[in-house]
Amino acid sequence: MWEQLIEDVPRFFGFWNLMFLGQALLNTLLLSYLGAAFGFALGFCLAIGRHPRLYGIAPLRLLATAYVEVFRRIPFLVKLMCVFFAFQLSGAQASLFTVALVTVVLSAAAFAAEIARAGIESVPAPQWNAAEAMNFSRWQMLSRIIAPQSWRVVVPPLFGYAVGFIKSTSIASQIGVMELTYAAKILNTRGFSALLCFGTILVVYFLICWPTKRFGEHLETRLGQRPQA
Amino acid sequence: MGYDLIYSQVTGHVPYLLGGALLTLQLATISFLVGWAIGLFNASILHFGPHPARLAVQGYVTFFINTPLLVQIFFIFFVLPDAGILLSPYTAVAIGMSLNAGAYLTEIQRAGFQSLRREEMDAATAMGFSVPQMVWYVVMPHIAKTLYPPLSNQFIIQVMTTSIAAIFAVEELTGRAYNVNSLTFRSMEVFSIVAVIYVVLTLACSLALAVLGRWLFRVKARIV
Repeated sequence: MWEQLIEDVPRFFGFWNLMFLGQALLNTLLLSYLGAAFGFALGFCLAIGRHPRLYGIAPLRLLATAYVEVFRRIPFLVKLMCVFFAFQLSGAQASLFTVALVTVVLSAAAFAAEIARAGIESVPAPQWNAAEAMNFSRWQMLSRIIAPQSWRVVVPPLFGYAVGFIKSTSIASQIGVMELTYAAKILNTRGFSALLCFGTILVVYFLICWPTKRFGEHLETRLGQRPQA
Repeated sequence: MGYDLIYSQVTGHVPYLLGGALLTLQLATISFLVGWAIGLFNASILHFGPHPARLAVQGYVTFFINTPLLVQIFFIFFVLPDAGILLSPYTAVAIGMSLNAGAYLTEIQRAGFQSLRREEMDAATAMGFSVPQMVWYVVMPHIAKTLYPPLSNQFIIQVMTTSIAAIFAVEELTGRAYNVNSLTFRSMEVFSIVAVIYVVLTLACSLALAVLGRWLFRVKARIV
């Protein structure tokens, strides 16, 4: 095992393999960060649409709640398959990358909606009452009162969830999206030892996830120290 | 190009799918229990152990939390055979999920250990308790109640995570969905039914755990 490994190493880290892995890494990064960004934006909209004092009109509220509760209870793989086949049925010519991106966005939205709700609820009731007494419109209330106070609570946990989505994108290899895990499988099939292929991407995943998580923790302590407005 | 959803071709396979749900629950329970034991052991080390052991545990937790479970199982499933250890898909998935859950459950239980009061530990030490005795008789009863909600939450996560086993041809809920899919070619129908089963399954688990929690500790566990 070890002799073969030592023989493989220079070949494995050759120029073309590194280019191949680099492209896969780029896809993983794009898929997870882009998906998380869109998903979180959508999640905030959902949270705003769920809150009775913001835009929570009854049918909208019900829909948003059902969405959040259902999508948090379906495994990523099953969601991926549903989105994949739904795209197929609709006849839209979507790339595999788009399918995976949509799945990440849909699940990120459901999780972000819960965090954003916690953030919105962290604003004390007198603030809401005061804003209403001053005859603020819903939009003014959100942008002037709620958002400036709740972002400190909302932003740090998002990084933890972003790490979760970086890890989930490895499942996108199942439908053949060219990301890190799929690249490792291909290299493994080409005859490089499994230890080398999967060991390398484990390290790469770690090098992406760990700084993201640490940055979130750093933000949490930093934003927590500041006096609350 | 029209496609009509025909559920009637799939409904006959629902009992087969539900059988897979049993395996899902089994896998989730095994990995949760093993992970819980690993977590308790690790949390004890983090609280009582010597410095190098603490570092090792922290390394384990950081590594397993920051890498994808799928790749961890790939590693176990494809690399260990090179070292002469052949594992069945089910065993490989169970080991991978247990190690992964162990990392998360270490984090959860570490928080519980930190919530203990110093005096209780001092009293236990004065009574001549050994560390395992202290963990079992003093720490556990104290943190059981506070840790119940996050632990049951982790169980629900385990139930959903088992879907990864399908990738290794374990015939749990998602694995059986793949089988039914290749039998009937009614992909959208199969996976939408499976999605609903997962929602119902996790809701049922949450409900059962909440009832159990009420009965054990009189705590209000969150259902949704």
